[in-house]
Amino acid sequence: MDSSLCQAYKDEIQSLEEEIRLLTEKYEANQQESVSFSEEEILMSINSFQKEFQRQSGGHGFPSDLKAELESLETDLSFLMKFTGIQFTSHCKKTVEKTRNRTVQKHRLLGNCHSLSFELEFQLLEMQTKESVSTVITDLSITMESGGDSDVSKFVSRTEKHGSLLTFFRSLSSYAEWYEHRRCTFLHFKAKYPDIVALPDGLRGDYIILRNPKVSRFELMIVWKIHLDEEGRTTPVLDLLTKVPEQVLEQNRATVENAPAHFRSLLLLLGAETAIENLIKALDLEK
Amino acid sequence: MEEGKAHPPEGVFAHLEMLEARAHEAAVKQAAAEQQKEQLARLEARVQELRQRRDELQAKVELQEQGQREQEGVVSDPAQHSAQTVLEWKIRKVKSTLQVFYLTGISGKLSKHGVCFCISTAYEGIYLDSYYLDLLTEPQVRIHRHSVPIFIPMEQIAKKYLQTDIRRFLSVLSDHLNAYVGRRYQADQLQEHFSDRLEGTMQRNSLCNLLVFNYNPSSKSETFPFNARLLYGDLCCSLPTEVVISCAPDAPAALAEMAAAHSDLFRRLALHKAFGSFGSAGEHVDGAR
Repeated sequence: MDSSLCQAYKDEIQSLEEEIRLLTEKYEANQQESVSFSEEEILMSINSFQKEFQRQSGGHGFPSDLKAELESLETDLSFLMKFTGIQFTSHCKKTVEKTRNRTVQKHRLLGNCHSLSFELEFQLLEMQTKESVSTVITDLSITMESGGDSDVSKFVSRTEKHGSLLTFFRSLSSYAEWYEHRRCTFLHFKAKYPDIVALPDGLRGDYIILRNPKVSRFELMIVWKIHLDEEGRTTPVLDLLTKVPEQVLEQNRATVENAPAHFRSLLLLLGAETAIENLIKALDLEK
Repeated sequence: MEEGKAHPPEGVFAHLEMLEARAHEAAVKQAAAEQQKEQLARLEARVQELRQRRDELQAKVELQEQGQREQEGVVSDPAQHSAQTVLEWKIRKVKSTLQVFYLTGISGKLSKHGVCFCISTAYEGIYLDSYYLDLLTEPQVRIHRHSVPIFIPMEQIAKKYLQTDIRRFLSVLSDHLNAYVGRRYQADQLQEHFSDRLEGTMQRNSLCNLLVFNYNPSSKSETFPFNARLLYGDLCCSLPTEVVISCAPDAPAALAEMAAAHSDLFRRLALHKAFGSFGSAGEHVDGAR
């Protein structure tokens, strides 16, 4: 009789200790999530902390590691952001559920990858099984300006449907790199040949127009599309379109009709920048 | 009654010893009982203490949540917090952002002589294995240690990209790893959820890019009229490039048609989803007759 009472107490103690552990974690998580300090406040704290500690114990020992820890973490973070091109400008998370084996957090993430910005909301479920912790994303919602690109909007809705956060980031990374490359290339040519190169859709557009101001109604349009397929694979495709007045066309039909194919060969051999540069130079010579 | 009858001296001593033993026993029992009482009292006190602590914490948390509901995102007064608290808060915040990088597929930390990268993999929204790469950067970039399985052609990928474009190297390696993990996940899911439609265990290689199994789309059958052979020729893809579904040469035409339809299905849809689309009613297959 007594021993069973003993056991009952011991069981209750164990369950209470577990409850206290969860509540403490919840309390600390809430503290973390509800509070916010600005960068100046943090800097001030670092300085005052260091002074205070140096005064107390000659500046050596345990808590000064806090400053070193913070610096090391921040160095890692800035390296990753520079390396991947992904910058997070805002990250809010809120613990929605926390039991012994399950944690559910709601995340809101804002950031950009090179020049493309995104806004994400998702739920992160972490489940503790005997062997490991499993992480699952649900309720993914992505906001990204597609710039009218149907590829991008299709990709975004498919990714949202399957909760494929990882695929989103990897594809975004590759797409953004090409986007940036295209933007820089267009900018470079516009700056170098301001009279010949026109950007009707601006730097965010996917084509440029080349025309020789001395020759009217003769235009070359270079279209640079960045295709994003359903799996998230990025494929850049460049093409040349010609707009030629009738008389010029009649005299040079073969050349004009073969121009796109020739451009494609140039692309394969020399790459985008050199191919475009060649075209521009050719146009410049055209009288 | 005869008083003063003489008892033999051995008897008296034996009696005394017996009394002593009994007294000893009683003392021990009493001590044990008291000990148990003390233990119970201690346990009870501990339970009370823990209950009180739990109740206090619960009240604190409720207060917190109530306060949060009323004013979201209020910037707190720094004067209330010690420098140490602020620092700890900031450290937790940076750690939390670093954890998000894990979700993007490429994360890592700087090491003394280079970088230690972590490539994470996932199938749709489920994160699967992570692989580590310890890179040294001096005098040139090379792989010091890694946890990439040997059947992934990492050496070839490294030869092509590691020296010139580390980002590209990691990206291509990540494609291979994610595709491998995706294929493995599909095969595992098939084995786990549709084992009644499979004959035995399916055969697969370590890279999970060749799968061979006998199956029946309907679960209510004893025979497995279809043999499937899936080859995933593109190692960066988790859908097969070649699907061969065959059935017995004397099988009815309807079966052959179904085989063709399935062949197309497996090329387009993930394996476990394709089986899921067969439905519980099943496409009834008259196998035996």
